[in-house]
Amino acid sequence: MLRLPEPDGSGAWLLPVLPDNASAAVLDELGLPGHVLEHPNDTARVLAACVRCCWADPAGPLWPGAAAPWEQVAVAFGAIVSREEAVSHRALLAGVRRLARSGWLLWDEGAPMIRLGPRVAAWNAAQLSTLREMCRSMPSAGGDVPRPPI
Amino acid sequence: MSAPLLTFVGVSEPVDAMLDDLTTEAAVLRVYRQAFAVLAREAGAMILDVDLIDVDEAILEAFAAAGSDGLTGAEVVAACHAFDARVVERRLGVLRDYQAISKVVDRPNEQHYRAAFAPYIMLLFLRRLSERGGQSELHQLLTLERLNVSHPDAVQADGQQSVSRLSKVFRLLANELTSLVQRGAAEALRENAQLLWGNRSLIVQAEEVHAVVLRRWPALGPQCAALRISLAAYGDAIEAAAGRLIEQAGTTRALGFLPAETWLSFARRSDAGTLAAVLDSFVFDAPAPWLSPQALAEAVESARPADGPRFRPPRPDDRQDLPEKDLVPADDGAELRAAAERLLGERSGVSVAELLDEAGDWPTGRRLVAEMIAIHHHPDLGFELRWGDGLRIDAQSFPSWVSDGWFGRLTGVPQ
Repeated sequence: MLRLPEPDGSGAWLLPVLPDNASAAVLDELGLPGHVLEHPNDTARVLAACVRCCWADPAGPLWPGAAAPWEQVAVAFGAIVSREEAVSHRALLAGVRRLARSGWLLWDEGAPMIRLGPRVAAWNAAQLSTLREMCRSMPSAGGDVPRPPI
Repeated sequence: MSAPLLTFVGVSEPVDAMLDDLTTEAAVLRVYRQAFAVLAREAGAMILDVDLIDVDEAILEAFAAAGSDGLTGAEVVAACHAFDARVVERRLGVLRDYQAISKVVDRPNEQHYRAAFAPYIMLLFLRRLSERGGQSELHQLLTLERLNVSHPDAVQADGQQSVSRLSKVFRLLANELTSLVQRGAAEALRENAQLLWGNRSLIVQAEEVHAVVLRRWPALGPQCAALRISLAAYGDAIEAAAGRLIEQAGTTRALGFLPAETWLSFARRSDAGTLAAVLDSFVFDAPAPWLSPQALAEAVESARPADGPRFRPPRPDDRQDLPEKDLVPADDGAELRAAAERLLGERSGVSVAELLDEAGDWPTGRRLVAEMIAIHHHPDLGFELRWGDGLRIDAQSFPSWVSDGWFGRLTGVPQ
């Protein structure tokens, strides 16, 4: 059981920590059907955008992270998918709702700020390094694209 | 007074309180053993088979039916024909050893025996215990104690004895329970759960006795204080044991730890807040989709090549590209024809050595050779360069050596 105190000390989340050989990832390895997620790719991209925006210090732990304004996440998501703004916004809103419902994000309907949910703390160190690599290669939230090395 | 007390201590072992729901013979037997433990002369002599109780009962019945003359051993065996004769004889021996049956007249060669009534009383008591549980006995004893101390003839000594007995009883109960709470397995605790539920009335009754004694004999204050302490200890032990059971039942979700009635009454009598509070310390991890960072990275990667920004590949410089026609190889047939005409002049053929001699130096000569080879290989020109086996060597002059070669017009080709 992982205890995740809120940054302001107002409370704490208790997150069950499953051993590696009993977590949801095993289902993937075994090819068994897990929980069905609608639009898995878009949802994963939304979460990636949120991680990109909320992970204040990529050298440190993911939780609790920082709250990111909706617009910043929208820009980061748009940089990933490069779609029309209306389509992108719809996908982003749906993805954030799905993720907030399952504890990946902390977001109240209509709230201007998004935070990472306690569930992200379940990622282990090896997975965090994957995430770090992904964050480095992602377009930054400011909208400027990293130049490729000449 | 000591015999009833001993008996009572025996049956007040916490284990016997669970007799309400005893079903197995082994458990019944354990209570018998515990009840007789205070009377047994040595370890290992206890009955090991619940059937032997029935044999004892049959033997005592036979004696009761026999009248004052008593029975011989053979007559007892005959009367107990429902049981194995050897078993009956062995039980007879044991009962004789414990003085439960004795000779009618104490003389050698006396064959007739009579039975004491106390063993049968004990048997009846145990039967009742095994069928109804020990709690009613405890209640009755408390009622009796209260009657005793309330009796007009009772003196201070009676009150003191009564209070001291009750103190011992509740001390023993509390000690047993506390040790179970602290060290025992939760399952053992659950077996003794009957001692926990609904036993507040025991304490209330004991407090009534305590109040009567304290009112009648204020001098017994210290003893009454001891009784109060032991009652409080029993109450605490009940609380701790119940707490432990509830905790076990809650964390392990082993609902069998508590009686079904407890769950039912809890569910029926609690309001929504209390019911919700049950889950306060639990994290509900409803089935939720799992997203691994690998999946995130793959999703981000898969989105980019299709729609992401594209970068112009680096170029060596920014000069304008050459026009396309410049890249097509030039047809230099006319120039080569002119060169060939210039070399040959009016001649139809000339040796390579002669041409090189005319050139005079190597930079000019090698250009001549290159032109001749190019002319030779041009498909549209009617000139050829033929090489022979000869070799002209002149170390002093230029060129120092020349292969035997001829450059000339192709014969029979229209020019």
